[in-house]
Amino acid sequence: MKRFHILAAALCCMASPLALGTAQAEKILNVGMAAADVGALDPHRAVSTQDKPVMNWVFNGLVRFKPGSVAIDGLEPDLADSFRRSPDKLTWTFALRHGVQFQRGFGEMTAEDVVFSLKRAADKDSSSFAADYANVDSITALDPYTVQIKLKQVVPGFLGLVANYQGGNIVSKKAVEQLGEQFRTMPVGTGPFEIKEYQPNQGIVLVAHAGYFRGKPKIDGINFKFIPSDASRDLAFSSGELDLLYGRQDQKWVERTKEAPGTVVDVIRPAELAELSLNQTKKPLDDLRVRQAVAYAIDRAGIAQFKGAATAEPATSVVPAGYLGTIDAKLFPHDVTRAKALLAEAGYPNGITITVIQTSLPTMLNSMQIVQAQLKQAGINLELQVVDHATFHAQIRKDLSMAVYYSAARFPVDDIYMTQFFHSRSTVMTPTAATNFSHCAVADKEIDAARVEPEDAKQQALWATAQQKIVDDVCAVPLFEQLQVWAHHTKLHFNYDLKGSLNLGPTITEASTLD
Amino acid sequence: MAVGAIGAPKGIAGRALGNRSLMAGVALLVFIILLAVLAPWISPYDPNDQDAIASLGAPNAQHWFGTDFFGRDVLSRVIWGARVSLFVGAVSTAISMLLGGSIGILSGYVGGRFDQGVMAVMDVLLSFPQLIMGLIIVALLGANLTDLILAIAITAVPPFARVARGPTLSLKERDFVEAGRALGFSNLRIMLVHILPNVLDDLIVMGSLWLATAIRTEASLSFIGLGLPPPTATWGSIIREGFENLLDAPWLAVFPSLAVLIVMLALNMIGDGLRDATDPKAAVS
Repeated sequence: MKRFHILAAALCCMASPLALGTAQAEKILNVGMAAADVGALDPHRAVSTQDKPVMNWVFNGLVRFKPGSVAIDGLEPDLADSFRRSPDKLTWTFALRHGVQFQRGFGEMTAEDVVFSLKRAADKDSSSFAADYANVDSITALDPYTVQIKLKQVVPGFLGLVANYQGGNIVSKKAVEQLGEQFRTMPVGTGPFEIKEYQPNQGIVLVAHAGYFRGKPKIDGINFKFIPSDASRDLAFSSGELDLLYGRQDQKWVERTKEAPGTVVDVIRPAELAELSLNQTKKPLDDLRVRQAVAYAIDRAGIAQFKGAATAEPATSVVPAGYLGTIDAKLFPHDVTRAKALLAEAGYPNGITITVIQTSLPTMLNSMQIVQAQLKQAGINLELQVVDHATFHAQIRKDLSMAVYYSAARFPVDDIYMTQFFHSRSTVMTPTAATNFSHCAVADKEIDAARVEPEDAKQQALWATAQQKIVDDVCAVPLFEQLQVWAHHTKLHFNYDLKGSLNLGPTITEASTLD
Repeated sequence: MAVGAIGAPKGIAGRALGNRSLMAGVALLVFIILLAVLAPWISPYDPNDQDAIASLGAPNAQHWFGTDFFGRDVLSRVIWGARVSLFVGAVSTAISMLLGGSIGILSGYVGGRFDQGVMAVMDVLLSFPQLIMGLIIVALLGANLTDLILAIAITAVPPFARVARGPTLSLKERDFVEAGRALGFSNLRIMLVHILPNVLDDLIVMGSLWLATAIRTEASLSFIGLGLPPPTATWGSIIREGFENLLDAPWLAVFPSLAVLIVMLALNMIGDGLRDATDPKAAVS
């Protein structure tokens, strides 16, 4: 009898924590990201692929893309209750929601925070997207819940600048001032999840924001883990350690992963346009004939064949397809003989060597190795200096690479993409630098004129001319368009129709659930 | 008057030839070296030739070791990789022997505070794990062939210095060294002609074992992405690429790993065999 009591007591001791654990089990979403670390979590500095999905979960804009959508016509009020614009499209007035709370006890969001955020986004000292806001004349708080933005000239797709994307993410003024440098990794927004802890080279711990204005999220927290190795991430996913993972962007991976039981592969938009920017200030790329030789040597169809139709699409211009204004530009055909002839004509009959700083991220490094092999056929030796992803981003912005392989998506209006990548105002190492790695300046006039052109047809024509000029001057060679590849276990329910995410990763909303 | 290596028992070559483990190691190593030297003629494909259609192909009649993500022939890359791995290993070990041996002999011969100071520095360097040390140096110097060789060589200097210093401390007290001094020989001549031949055996045995470590360090640095940049085939980089495709094409990592394993085995058999052959106690027995 005594033995029975001891056994019963032991079973009780064993069972009760389990029962307690079941009753109080937290719903934690484990996400695996292909990176060794973040670049920055400050939304106005977050430029790397691994930074952006987190922006989705922590911040809001005045307006937002509907969860799961990247359609411009689907923009809806977010922190703003409503907005109106003047007939001349130069004055925009936003009425803010009342009672929106910042995370971690930083108080209510008011017009003062919105004005501070947008001015901060427009300041090159605090933002990587300052060039986008060059035509903003003033940002004013009319009262604690009303913000007015005046423009110097019409900005196509202006709502993109105040959406939940890049500079449009609203931060807490008090938090920025109070946290100082710490804000880079522990930012404060109004979104459904708040950052609890940042662990360098390991991950980010996020917890549900109880005071989120759309209601407390049903998922209690997110563990965002840095796992740069594709194979390690795959193994962690298949063992159940991860619920959502950043996939490898190739056909074989998609085909294998979607066969796994209880797994859904999400191939989503936007497609990032991969381009090879050629630095026109570095010899021998200062010679147009050499740049043309590079363009002729690249076989876009060959790259697409490696990538597979499930995850990649052929490039059609120097701006991603489907953006407002993008055309089917007349790109250089693959012609190795012509490439060699141009090099000889330029005085390089024995070929050239181009030194390139390249990220070690497997997907990008693989793509660059395909380009490297293609260029070799024409006598162009691509010497890769492989560095980690954060160093890659830092060094290419210091104008240290002769060519830059960069893959990007932006707010889907040509003006923004062309301004950031091909306008001289955005040239790296200049006061208004963005991502013009080539020092391209050939289409400034058309880009500027299109921005203020009131007639749609004329605006389209100017954008078309600008694109063809950039192609012909070989500021960059478009390679392919890369769709975003993720996978999730069926126990994760986004609870919206996931077609895309401008922040490159699935949005986890207050309604998303985990079984 | 030159005094040769003392205590060197007769018949080292005979014992070496009779050591089956040593001979098997030599045979394996010679085979790998021949593969590396003859790579341009025996490699079935150009190691950098890409073929999208053949991406991640399993081993078959055309590609015995299969193909990687880029459709490159893995057998050809393993053969060409042997060139880089053996070259980096051999040159870096030679540099370490030269530098470490010189420092050890000089330190032991001069003695006193100089010896204490040099050995303190060596001890500090020894306290770093080799891979960490190599990683720091490659990160500082950069990842090209010369810097990679230098990085690996530097990591091996302290052990060679230690090995050379020990016997030097006792040798410098021996009568033939005293005699050399009495005859007015310079310190440099005594170190080169009278001491070096007597520590050379130890350095060679150490070198044969360290060659394995150097090759492994190169493979490890390449595996973590700090080796030679693409598309150069090295065993470490092939294993790394294989690891990235482990679930789609597990054979990619297996064959280069086997190559590393075989060389490690061969060099360890040679090292052990040489140690036995040069051991005076073994000669007596």
